[in-house]
Amino acid sequence: MKLRAKLGYTGAGLTVFAALLTPFLLYGLFSDGFAALGLHVDEMYSGGPKIRTIDKGAYSITVHRAVYPHMLQTEKPFVQLDWSPVSALPAHVSDLVDVDGDGQPDLRVSFEVPKDPKAPLRVDVEPLTPRFEAMRNAGKERFSRLIVRVDNSVLVRVPLASQ
Amino acid sequence: MATKACLPRIVHTPPRGIGRSILLTLPILLWSLLMFSHPQGAAVADRLSLIAGAITGVFMTVLFFMMMRTGTTYRWRRYFFVSVGLLFPVGFIHNIVAMRGTMGIPVEEMIAGRTPFCFMPIPLLILPAAFTRTLVFPGSIVPSGGASGHGIAAMVGIWLALTLVMGKGWCSYACFFGGIEEGVAALPRRAKIRKIDPRWRYGPWAVLLAMVLLSLALFEPAYCMWLCPFKAVSEYVAARNTVGLIQNGIFVLLFAVLVIALPLLTKKRTQCAFFCPFGAFQSIFNKASVFEVKIDQARCKPCVLCQTACPNLSLTSESVAHGEALLSCMKCGACVDACPRQAIVWHIKGTEMAAKPERARLMFLYAAWAMAVMFGGSIIAQGLVTILHFLPLGGI
Repeated sequence: MKLRAKLGYTGAGLTVFAALLTPFLLYGLFSDGFAALGLHVDEMYSGGPKIRTIDKGAYSITVHRAVYPHMLQTEKPFVQLDWSPVSALPAHVSDLVDVDGDGQPDLRVSFEVPKDPKAPLRVDVEPLTPRFEAMRNAGKERFSRLIVRVDNSVLVRVPLASQ
Repeated sequence: MATKACLPRIVHTPPRGIGRSILLTLPILLWSLLMFSHPQGAAVADRLSLIAGAITGVFMTVLFFMMMRTGTTYRWRRYFFVSVGLLFPVGFIHNIVAMRGTMGIPVEEMIAGRTPFCFMPIPLLILPAAFTRTLVFPGSIVPSGGASGHGIAAMVGIWLALTLVMGKGWCSYACFFGGIEEGVAALPRRAKIRKIDPRWRYGPWAVLLAMVLLSLALFEPAYCMWLCPFKAVSEYVAARNTVGLIQNGIFVLLFAVLVIALPLLTKKRTQCAFFCPFGAFQSIFNKASVFEVKIDQARCKPCVLCQTACPNLSLTSESVAHGEALLSCMKCGACVDACPRQAIVWHIKGTEMAAKPERARLMFLYAAWAMAVMFGGSIIAQGLVTILHFLPLGGI
């Protein structure tokens, strides 16, 4: 038998062996390897890393780092703010939020918290600095401009004003 | 009449003996037992899983036995593949509707990283990930509850393992969408459209190139957002506005044309042959696979039966003259079974053409069927669990 044929049969045998190893070893190995690559989901979806938490007594506001769109992405830059836990929020929330941590409020955010978790949310955002855009009775318009309830938090994404 | 008179005499291999076929099937029986035996049997759901697993195990074993007994592949593989195609939406849609109450993906779920990840966007993720270490998909790398399933890493892991084993065989033994159009293509007795311009086979490459570049530019899984016909039977973009309505209209239109109408008219897997960017991407891995389909030109009398049988336009007169299928060959076995002179054979790279093609077929089928039982079998079992869940089974 020629060397090429031997290599061919060896390859075929290894392929069958790899098939048998897949559920016990290869699948886990490849999945773990991929997870270890250090990739992350686009912040346009995930909202960017948390940078600060503002304590409001019964509840808190988490401020995320500003997210900027890539290349031709059709969203605006935005900042995500999380109010949690939902169970501790009053029926009407109206908070002054210091986004950049300079001691001065940057936004006034107001929304109702309906008892029905599936009820649609609406938010008003009044910018106190020119860095942010105003939002009036906004719902789930764009990834960069919305209010949604996710698990035990209410998330508000406020678009940054064009410079 | 004239065409029939020109057809060569069909020389079929005599069927294997039952005893030998059973012996050859034994490894698959043991593998099925291993894959579908769930030890926990206390809860109702687990008992249903056990029943569904048993049915699936028997089904997969019987199909493999028939492959061994008859020496043919395509017909039996098709039963499996169509079952996967039909039962995947059943299990999947039931799961997501039970979890979130709708087939539409709500923004909340996308933000929470709970969009189920299928294999289709894998080629679209590569360039954005390479340039920015970012995955342009609203899912999560590891499971994050809800409908996120096992996460992106798990799907990439299973895809890598199966691709290592089967190459483009993924499209015939693992893809949980292709079975729908294969089933539809099997319905008519004859094709209404028989002459297809071979240039259509470049379609998937064109879609792949366009979608990869668009995904990089727009930083979104462009194919999933705009062109995937199978959104019509899995989950779709929640139609919150006009854009969402347009997207869903495109999904339904493409499904109706590429997965229903054209397969009925051509008896081909037209979505795979003309459109699927993942299929084009997967073709690249055919080069790495040791298994291939070869044409023995000493035996071949150009009767074009193989070209007619190929569901993916992977055989042309030029490729037959060249002695091999095109890069897009899905290793479904249709041409091998259709050839009346046994001129088309399963082949292991590096070996002689005449060197025991049945050995090559067996080695490929053991590898591919083991994967089919593990991956496709689990999809069949999941679909059966859903159906059993709705049947009045009394005590069970």
